[in-house]
Amino acid sequence: MRRVGIVGIGNTPFKSRHIDKTFPRLAYESVKAALEDAGASKDDVESVVYSIYNDFFEHCMMPDHHVHYLLGFARRPGVRITTGGATGGYALRAAYAEVASGLHDVVMVVGVEKVGDLANVMEMVKSITYAADPFFEAALGASPAGSYGAAIRFHMDNYGTTQEDMALVVVKNKGNAKNNPDAQSPMDLTVEDVLASPMIIYPLKVLDHCLNSEGAATVILVSEEATSRFAREPVWITGVGASTESGRQAERDDPGRSLFPAVRASADAAYAMAGVTDPASAIQVAEVYDSFSGVEILLYEEFGFCGWGEGTRFLKEGGPDMGGRLPVNPSGGLIGGEHAIGATGVYQAAEIVRQIRGEAGARQVPGVKAGLAQSMGGARGAYSVTMVLEG
Amino acid sequence: MDENDPRFKPLKEQDGFALIPDRWKVDYFMSMGELSRFSLELKENGRLMGTKCPECGSIYCWPRSWCHDCYVDCEWVEMEPRGRITLFARVEISLNDIQTEVPYMQGGVQLEGARYPIVQFIRGEFEKMYPGMPVRVEFRPPEERTGRIRDFYFVPDV
Ligand SMILES: [Zn+2]
Repeated sequence: MRRVGIVGIGNTPFKSRHIDKTFPRLAYESVKAALEDAGASKDDVESVVYSIYNDFFEHCMMPDHHVHYLLGFARRPGVRITTGGATGGYALRAAYAEVASGLHDVVMVVGVEKVGDLANVMEMVKSITYAADPFFEAALGASPAGSYGAAIRFHMDNYGTTQEDMALVVVKNKGNAKNNPDAQSPMDLTVEDVLASPMIIYPLKVLDHCLNSEGAATVILVSEEATSRFAREPVWITGVGASTESGRQAERDDPGRSLFPAVRASADAAYAMAGVTDPASAIQVAEVYDSFSGVEILLYEEFGFCGWGEGTRFLKEGGPDMGGRLPVNPSGGLIGGEHAIGATGVYQAAEIVRQIRGEAGARQVPGVKAGLAQSMGGARGAYSVTMVLEG
Repeated sequence: MDENDPRFKPLKEQDGFALIPDRWKVDYFMSMGELSRFSLELKENGRLMGTKCPECGSIYCWPRSWCHDCYVDCEWVEMEPRGRITLFARVEISLNDIQTEVPYMQGGVQLEGARYPIVQFIRGEFEKMYPGMPVRVEFRPPEERTGRIRDFYFVPDV
């Protein structure tokens, strides 16, 4: 396989509502920014992978081919990935494969989502529940939040994690968002503020939830041979791991101590490919899928940033804080930064590129050589993609 | 024409931008195919059916018609209506049009003999529930059953 680097990144600001922009327009703005960043023109792009999660959000069943045409890519290859919250990760993986295999030298990943056109939050959640097993789980009307809540509850019962502990993740990520001009929800919060927000699914309260965002993110992947054509030094994708699990909420084969076995499998594969044996020392920054506050604690363990059952201690010791041993979600993550679902995995990669380039502004982690980006989706993290990026 | 159909309503204007009311509405007859016996037994007889792999002996409920490990067809078996809670959650706010009474509880239940847990409604006192707690199946009365998984739920069996 050929080496694959990222030479261009771009994204829109993320908001709960971009009432002044259609989803093709959001995509266009991020594409334009990524092309400018790379010193490229649209004619350099050989192929496009679209990261657009939910047909119900865009109110269109095949939104990618409409966007492709409007972006001026008619008669060039374009394909869409949709794998829940892991859409961005899997889209990057598809683009990686196109370049690594030699099929193309320059491939763009465009992630976009517009959630606010659904009439209200109930319609939005309803559209998400349509991903449930149609024979045996759809009739529960269960939102994915329930499956995550149950996994978190397991951590509480077995490792003594409390709602106060989880609130620390919210305080951290909303606080980190203050350093990110594109973030949707920068906030100064206390643990008490989080605890006082209304309960939705025990133990998850409103402020424990990820955001619903509108926005877009684009990255440009190129082969090593093609890098000299572009203005920016490449950030190399050195590890790509992907895993898809049972989409049912509770069916998992032999997970061991893992509560998100698809995440663990994707991390193991990415680490093996990148030659990472001790992630806690090999990686200096991570953008991970904090769909709910407690999930981030579980993820520290899945990624080996600390041992099993030690996620809460790692958090309380300040490990994932800015200035900590391994800052997690400097962008604000999904809780403080954005969660425009199709854009999320793409934006995470763009953020790690910024960190490695040393261009992350007020959220810059010093001395980043390698970073991790991870997105997941489906009930209880049925899909997961983990990537390792290096300068 | 349906009076409430948003597709015929005039646009909404917000900050000088146009919002066109719209709707996707698609009705189905969902085909249960080779799994039909599960729905029929549930509705007609209040029986919970699973399937068993003749090769490795795995018992599946929810039923599947072939074993994904052995790649052979499974046989129907009736499940023991008992199990243990694995994971559980309490939902405080209803965000769908199927389950409107809140709060309600859902959780994983490991049915006796089954290879995997299923997720189902659980009734009982949330504060008294714990992983490993024994539960049993309670079927809705025949006149309320529709052949869907909501025809039964779990209650504590202690
Ligand atoms: Zn078998």
